[in-house]
Amino acid sequence: VTALSSAGLTSGVSSPGGGLRRIGSARWRRRNLTFDKVSFFLVFLIIPVAWYIGFVVSQFVQAAYFSLTDWSGFSPAMNFVGLSNYSKLLSDATFLKAVGNNVLMAIVVPIVTLGLAMFFATLVTVGGSTRGNIRGLRNSSFYRVVSFFPYVIPAIVIGLIWSQIYDPNSGLLNGILTRVGLEQFTSFPWLGDVRTARWAVMFVIIWGLVGFYMVLFIAAIKGVPAEVFEAARIDGAGRFRTAVSITIPLIRDNVQTAFIYIGILALDAFVYMAALEPGGGPANTTLVMAQQLFTTAFAKGQFGYACAMGVVLAGITLAYAGLVFAINRLTGGRSEVGE
Amino acid sequence: MDITVKPLGRRDFLRGSLAAAALAATGSLASCATSGTGTSTSSSSAPAGQVSDTNPFGVQSGTTVDAVIFNGGYGVDYAEFAAKQVQTKQSGVTVKVTPTTKIAQSLQPRFVSGNPPDVIDNSGADLIGINTIRDQLAELTDVIEAKNYEGTVIKDTLYPGVTNPGTFDGKFIQLNYVLTVYAIWYSASLFDDMGWTVPKTYDEMMSLGAEAKGKGKYLFGWGKEAATYYQTMAISSAIKEGGDDVRLALENLKPDCWSLPPVQDVFNALKKIIDAGYVKPGGSGTQFTAAQAQWSNAEQFILYPSGSWIENEMKSQTKSGFKMTGAPEPSVSTSSKFAYEALHSTAGEGYIVPSQGKNAAGGKEFLRAMLSKDAAVNFAKEKLSSTIVKGTVPADGFGSTALQSQIKMLEAAGTNVYSWNFIDLYGMNTDQLVLWNTFLAGDSSVAELTKGLQEITDKVAKDDSIKKVPVS
Repeated sequence: VTALSSAGLTSGVSSPGGGLRRIGSARWRRRNLTFDKVSFFLVFLIIPVAWYIGFVVSQFVQAAYFSLTDWSGFSPAMNFVGLSNYSKLLSDATFLKAVGNNVLMAIVVPIVTLGLAMFFATLVTVGGSTRGNIRGLRNSSFYRVVSFFPYVIPAIVIGLIWSQIYDPNSGLLNGILTRVGLEQFTSFPWLGDVRTARWAVMFVIIWGLVGFYMVLFIAAIKGVPAEVFEAARIDGAGRFRTAVSITIPLIRDNVQTAFIYIGILALDAFVYMAALEPGGGPANTTLVMAQQLFTTAFAKGQFGYACAMGVVLAGITLAYAGLVFAINRLTGGRSEVGE
Repeated sequence: MDITVKPLGRRDFLRGSLAAAALAATGSLASCATSGTGTSTSSSSAPAGQVSDTNPFGVQSGTTVDAVIFNGGYGVDYAEFAAKQVQTKQSGVTVKVTPTTKIAQSLQPRFVSGNPPDVIDNSGADLIGINTIRDQLAELTDVIEAKNYEGTVIKDTLYPGVTNPGTFDGKFIQLNYVLTVYAIWYSASLFDDMGWTVPKTYDEMMSLGAEAKGKGKYLFGWGKEAATYYQTMAISSAIKEGGDDVRLALENLKPDCWSLPPVQDVFNALKKIIDAGYVKPGGSGTQFTAAQAQWSNAEQFILYPSGSWIENEMKSQTKSGFKMTGAPEPSVSTSSKFAYEALHSTAGEGYIVPSQGKNAAGGKEFLRAMLSKDAAVNFAKEKLSSTIVKGTVPADGFGSTALQSQIKMLEAAGTNVYSWNFIDLYGMNTDQLVLWNTFLAGDSSVAELTKGLQEITDKVAKDDSIKKVPVS
């Protein structure tokens, strides 16, 4: 944060020409410590950082410390137990199962969601008629609004709606399937069968998020000069070739951001699961780490152990973000944008 | 297409939000943090009042009693009624009743900082695991040894065995207020119409299942959050069959406790019922009250094992003229250790008095009011459930067939009443639900169910960080 802010500060001060940057002497620095500058530092840097350390970082440190104790969560007493919570996690079959479920979700949900979002965004912006100006399909603004609807509904409501749709006996889905003659779906428990539960849940998450990422990509594609697309078209590129060779490379930073956001959501997924599969699903196939953390802390009264789960979850999330950065760089993206 | 907007500004923004997102990722960590670890204060800092027969705990006039009550199926009006009783009997004492649905989440910081309420109704899905706060609770033996507002010693007015579920390691620390009878519930009117009798063994259940199937109905059904109701029935049947040996093996987390012959007999009998197709399919994907309505409203299945809260819970979704009635859980054979009439009965709505509360004496006085006649009768009448106080329900059960049958079952059982604690005590239910959903759906064998349940038990038994409560 400090690095980011100070970078912004320097560029702000040195603009437009950047000439001042060359005067790197002590005299320059002293002369510039005016009241304006000091108060600017204070308000925009020191106070936010202090607030951040006090209300965010210290909690992280505290939680990391608790993960090394046997704290029950309901008394001030705790004993330091070293890394034994972590070694317990490694042999905790239920938690490892939750990790596996989360990892699978962090792979499937982003790829499917962003793939669909990119597909629709392309159609709406540059996928229209190949004659005349570059434009989207007819009525594209209508599609754009409609596809955003699910994102406007809170996640918990989405979960509750879909848990009704999936109801084995009175749900909409089985109602339609049995009506068209698929009798094998009579009383079929979509959320209660080992084969279908995790896909049913992932479908709901994807359904809820495609619209948002579509709008994000539309904004990004709109930022690409139309001349680029026109040039590609003149060179004979079709819609698919344009999407793969022009659109995606030009908005890869947005794609990276989207991947990180949605990956974090898939690694959490607590809200969706609380509505759809509060018990972890059949044979724990939909159990996620956050659910297991919550149960361990509040139902089992093992806050120390739960904190260790939190640390692992944070570690996996950061590793995921790192992986996305690494893949973007290895496939030719620059680590820094807009420099 | 407007493409002249500055792409740099947007990208800078997105990059900033990327950093924010990475930080948000670690948010789950922060949820573990406390608001600061307070030091423990000395217990009962309120000055003690004069101790007398009418004020057995010495509540000081002018003090406030801080009562936090679970606002669930029973609401909080009955607690407010008892609060008024305290205020009438102990002049100058005020009782503040705070309703909450999330007991553990809302009270956790108060326990850590040594500032808990004076009395808590520790109930509901988000209750505090009693094992985690056991050391911080006051013993309640003096409450039941005191005289109630009518002048009778409270102990003598209670149903037998009702203090057992609140006694841990010989210490009575949790007063479970509402009497809960576990039974097989059915519609007396439907059974009369069809000429069915309530099955007393699992063999009789099989034949009833066949008859019900002939009428297009299922014998059992379940909801995904309540699959372990069948575990409750199974354990109860196994205890009926094998006696206290079974109960103690399970309670003390003994190796191979789920493989004991009586337990296995029940599992095998259930498996036969499931394999015969007498259980309504789809339960593992059905919300539990929706599943219960398939029984109480649509009558798609005819028997449901549950606690006596079922009448209150399904009040708005019960067919008129249903005549909900309970019968004891079945035994495996006719030569069981306990008679068929023996009853799995316990008390729910656990009231606790933290010893660090500012006015622990006031908390106890509140319990004394609840156990006195006016408040107990008020509860039975308003909630159609009996408290642990005897003789508060008239023969007509306030017009409720379920309540009538409940009192009848209790009278028939006499002192043959048993219960167990280990599932709630060690928080095993969530893990067990998964196994029972699979088993009831017909997707696992008895061996797989047994193995899974044993693994859950062994995991707790081997974990040194979990305090065990020996039961004898």
